[in-house]
Amino acid sequence: MAMRAALRCLSVNFSPRLPQLSSAAQVSATRLLCRSGAPRTLSTTSGQCTALKFTEKHEWVLVESGIGTVGISNYAQEALGDVVYCGLPEVGQKLEQLDECGALESVKAASELYSPLTGEVTAINTELAENPGLVNKSCYADGWLIKMTIERPEELDRLMDQPAYDKFIKSLEE
Amino acid sequence: MLSHLRGTFCVLSAGVQRAWSSSSCLFMDPSSPGLVLQSQSTDVFQNLALEDWIDAHVDLQQRSILLLWRNRPTVVIGRHQNPWAECNLPAMRSAQVPVARRRSGGGTVYHDLGNLNLTFFASKKAYDRRRNLKVVTDALRRVRPQLDIQATDRLDILLNGRYKISGTASRLSRKSSYHHCTLLHSADRSAIAVLLRPSCPGIRSNATPSIPSPVTNLTDHAPSLQWEELLEAVVQQYSSEFGLTSSSQCVDPADEALFPGVGSMEAELRGWQWTFGKTPKFSVETQLELRDERPAARCSAQLQLEVKNGRVESCRVEVPATWLPERLSASLAQALLGERFCPHRAAAALSALLRCESGPLHSRLRNLCDVLVAAMG
Repeated sequence: MAMRAALRCLSVNFSPRLPQLSSAAQVSATRLLCRSGAPRTLSTTSGQCTALKFTEKHEWVLVESGIGTVGISNYAQEALGDVVYCGLPEVGQKLEQLDECGALESVKAASELYSPLTGEVTAINTELAENPGLVNKSCYADGWLIKMTIERPEELDRLMDQPAYDKFIKSLEE
Repeated sequence: MLSHLRGTFCVLSAGVQRAWSSSSCLFMDPSSPGLVLQSQSTDVFQNLALEDWIDAHVDLQQRSILLLWRNRPTVVIGRHQNPWAECNLPAMRSAQVPVARRRSGGGTVYHDLGNLNLTFFASKKAYDRRRNLKVVTDALRRVRPQLDIQATDRLDILLNGRYKISGTASRLSRKSSYHHCTLLHSADRSAIAVLLRPSCPGIRSNATPSIPSPVTNLTDHAPSLQWEELLEAVVQQYSSEFGLTSSSQCVDPADEALFPGVGSMEAELRGWQWTFGKTPKFSVETQLELRDERPAARCSAQLQLEVKNGRVESCRVEVPATWLPERLSASLAQALLGERFCPHRAAAALSALLRCESGPLHSRLRNLCDVLVAAMG
């Protein structure tokens, strides 16, 4: 599990022209994100964890126990370039879906962040204050941005799953 | 004089100025892949609001826009910067130079009427800062071929390989992008030296810092280059690069009929909440030098403050107990909690305390208050 995690971390630094992760590797990434603390063998607790969902703005959401963790995808972090500052919302801030809720500043630009869902911010990744590069180095794990409640689960249902997102990216690159 | 300047700024091309009845007339000409606009305003907040408005409301998928603007003396900080760290707010208050926080990233710049701002609007797909800067460098080389003008990897434009005449910043939003840059024609360089220094000592912050560079004006090296000539060159180069045929149009960024909602965008940019309240959390640690009426009596104290969202979140004032009882310095620190990090607010909060304390300690307490207020920028 640790080896797969290490490989996963390596892969986010490759250019998007390399083939996407195999679905097996992607499932293991999901498992990695579901576990807090050290990665363990997947247990069979049901209803706790869902697969990654993606927005058209290249954000991902992972739901665990009713809380959504939000980050940006590998496509997004590649496009952004080196992140030098993460401007995040406040804990307690209430967000509507698509609200502007902050910005990631990179050498390329200040890119607005849009809330993927309606809900309240329950946590922000304070590691990013000292180490904004985590967004590039580990966009699906240590580079998470915020956690939020999910006021409208139907919004989550309308987001893209991994295969749909992969297709979406391909269509952009054409 | 201002209206004369505005008139000069807009009298450029042969295009007839039309009274635009709505923005749809202005932006929806299907025959043109783009548009050049010149702002009639020299107010930084109106101009920044116009940028936001265009970014939010104009469909840039099939067209590009160049906006030309300049401001009365202003300091403009980047999206995630700390105004207290970047500029001398007390000096700016005396000189009536406002500070504005823009929505793009990057560092701090000084604007005045000798600095030309160019904003290149495009779709996210068409976002190409090098192409935009090439418009500027090609225009300059055309009008003054003897000048050594180069864009760097950092997307500055340097003159003679050394002096910065232009800096760049940009913003990417839902579907669109803007890239803006400065261009130093004839700005007041002495003001830059005075105003672009910290407001107060001891600031520790992870806000994005500025990278200071030696700057120069185009007119220092090409004294005959007129403002209008520079504008004309840029407009022509942009039109040729982006395939436009129409000439530039003047717009009033305060025209609510043309740009519905621009007024509230301007109000937000002008407000304390955006300008100061958006500052990333920072701390101030500095030594205070205290004295009282007796000339030889002095003392050093330590100030430690945390500022979040522009307000004092925590405050510690360590004064030797022999100088002032701890209860007094502690209540001063307490009085500042929750107040804006601002000398006026601090003075108001502390004056209430001062009124309560008379007797021999009053002058020392008053001195401590004065020194604290001065440490707040």
